Amino acid sequence: MPKPRSFCALFLFTATVAVAFAQAGKPQTVNGLEMTVTSVEKMEKASLRDCPPGTNTVNAVQRPGDELAVVTVKFKVLPDFKSTTMKRPTVTAADGKTYNTSVQFVDVGSVPEYSCSFPFRVAAGTTLKSLQIETATFDLAGVAK
Amino acid sequence: MEIDRRAFIASLGGAAAVSLMDHEAKAEALEHYMEEQLDEMVAAQGQGSGQPEKFPTVAEIEAQIETRPFRRGTGGVFTGQRGQNVKKLEPMPDKPTLQDFFRLRFAPANHVLQSATRALKTGMSEEIVLACLLHDCVLSLIKPDHGWWGAQLFEPYIPEKSAFAIRYHQTLRFFPDEQAGYEYPDQYYRIFGHDYTPPQYIQDTYKMLKNHKWYMEPRLVTVNDLYAFDPNAKVSIEPFQDIIGRHFKQPKEGLGYDNSPSAHMWRTLARPDNPL
Repeated sequence: MPKPRSFCALFLFTATVAVAFAQAGKPQTVNGLEMTVTSVEKMEKASLRDCPPGTNTVNAVQRPGDELAVVTVKFKVLPDFKSTTMKRPTVTAADGKTYNTSVQFVDVGSVPEYSCSFPFRVAAGTTLKSLQIETATFDLAGVAK
Repeated sequence: MEIDRRAFIASLGGAAAVSLMDHEAKAEALEHYMEEQLDEMVAAQGQGSGQPEKFPTVAEIEAQIETRPFRRGTGGVFTGQRGQNVKKLEPMPDKPTLQDFFRLRFAPANHVLQSATRALKTGMSEEIVLACLLHDCVLSLIKPDHGWWGAQLFEPYIPEKSAFAIRYHQTLRFFPDEQAGYEYPDQYYRIFGHDYTPPQYIQDTYKMLKNHKWYMEPRLVTVNDLYAFDPNAKVSIEPFQDIIGRHFKQPKEGLGYDNSPSAHMWRTLARPDNPL
């Protein structure tokens, strides 16, 4: 039987994991590529590294009247992955408007697991509703910070 | 600056590729690598400090003009790196090919090779891949209006669409197009000033391009115009040999000696130490 202090720590740990799992969302698989949205953040500056990320030094910078919504997605290449050219992801805002990212998929199967951040230049105050990658749609409502 | 030897060698295509380079090419590649590393460190410092990076103004950039012994628009073959003396260039073959210029005058050419590699991997047309491969080569000769100069240099030898893409990528670099996947790069705030407005002729050219049926040709060059230096990227001209063979009309007399409208430009690149 755990002591009250340990119990408290265990509870906190479990709660943190539960929240993290809820934020991470449900993984979806397209063409042997497992994808999980891990975060959505608003940033002033965002890297334009491709996906999987290299070490590109180019950044996008926030301009007056807009903001950069950065959606981070974790990728896992499964054994049945088939190499193909993938379209850039898009996001749909609560008002139905669709936005594109400048980040491109390049050599998707070259690394077994990786995480990519996709910046979307949106009007300031925009609430994102969903992310689309190929045929997968991710609900961003519970993930956005 | 500390250099990661393995990353540096990998960036040049591995130990085998390095062993084929002469001392001159190795020295140049190292200089380029260090320059890029420095850019990266500066960018990372801006990101890591939590403070937004402070970009210079146009006036601040102009104030630097009289602090240099050369002008910013001078082509790469005419200046030493960071105030150092220039080095003796290996002579060109009698009948130089595009590949000879890549090896002896445009090297290390990482930027254009990376751009073209990206275009190839993302399934773009061969005309676009070729345009990406050639789009900034003329920077060895001259920098201002490099789109126009570059198109003129290559025009006699490449498809019309590729020349169009090279000429106008310079204009489209100043105009973001999120739909097409092109963001205005923060590097432009650094090199032109955050309050820079493109001159009227660039704005007029943009207006023309917006309604042009070939708008996407130069736009796709900008999309692949990465300003990147990826230490893990293995770039070389090899994957493009077939595309060059199919689309670049190599003159039998050699570039510079075929009496084309841009032959003199190739000769200048071949012999930049000629006094007249």
